[in-house]
Amino acid sequence: MSPSAEEAARALREIAAVRARAAGFQDYSAESSQLVLWGVGYALGFGFTGLFPSLILPIWLAVVVCALSIGTVIACRTNREIPGIAWRYLTLIGAILIFCILLHAIMWPISAEQGAMIGPLFVAALYVIRGVHLRPRYLALGVLLTAASLSGFYLFHFVFWWWMAVTFGGSLIAAGLWLRQQ
Amino acid sequence: MQSPDEIIHQPVRLKIMAALNTLEAGRWLEFVVLRSIVDTTDGNLGAHLSTLETAGYVKIAKDFTGKKPRTRVALSTRGREAFGQYVATLHAILAPQDLDPADPNP
Repeated sequence: MSPSAEEAARALREIAAVRARAAGFQDYSAESSQLVLWGVGYALGFGFTGLFPSLILPIWLAVVVCALSIGTVIACRTNREIPGIAWRYLTLIGAILIFCILLHAIMWPISAEQGAMIGPLFVAALYVIRGVHLRPRYLALGVLLTAASLSGFYLFHFVFWWWMAVTFGGSLIAAGLWLRQQ
Repeated sequence: MQSPDEIIHQPVRLKIMAALNTLEAGRWLEFVVLRSIVDTTDGNLGAHLSTLETAGYVKIAKDFTGKKPRTRVALSTRGREAFGQYVATLHAILAPQDLDPADPNP
């Protein structure tokens, strides 16, 4: 027996809902490796800056180049079906880097700790926006990253670099692992 | 009036087919991920997957990642065609509603 129009409409709505849900799972899965990678990058960057504060520029240059190279490979592997994914990825990360460099230039002179807040707060804001628009787990991550960054700057300034290495880098790594638990 | 594929026209199997249809041809979805998307139990999902596999709509592969057993599922070519036909049938059922002559603003 043929289903009624209402039943057919319900089935189509169900298909659309499952499609959106599946897209979310695939998105989380693709994002998780990037979060772990950049979490390790941030943890190493902040950790080495804590150890060798005078070498802050070469340390972060090395971290960004390494993470960007590995991240591009991961993006290509996890999103084979998206055309031009490498360029999209490089443009996205490049835009974040340029934003950070421009803010440094506009607000110069700033302390190393102030400068180190720009990238994390921008990344945190991006996740809050993505969370509100797309996936709820990103909102939680954005709020967590904001809290980690601000508490490090205002409450734990005396151990700022170590705090950021553990809480900011650690939050990204933990979030990456969390997104894999679906 | 056309009637939709009875194998797909069941709530859990519909969700399974819709989820697998979002993947590119040849890509597999892990059983645990599919279970989360479909939001059902292991047993229920396994039973419906068996029905779909018997109909030739899905392919099921079992292997190991390290020492951990892993089950993956993918839509077969036949399954993809059947799902496309199923969706087309649903739209066809709805289409006459859009052409209601009594509606002054179609």
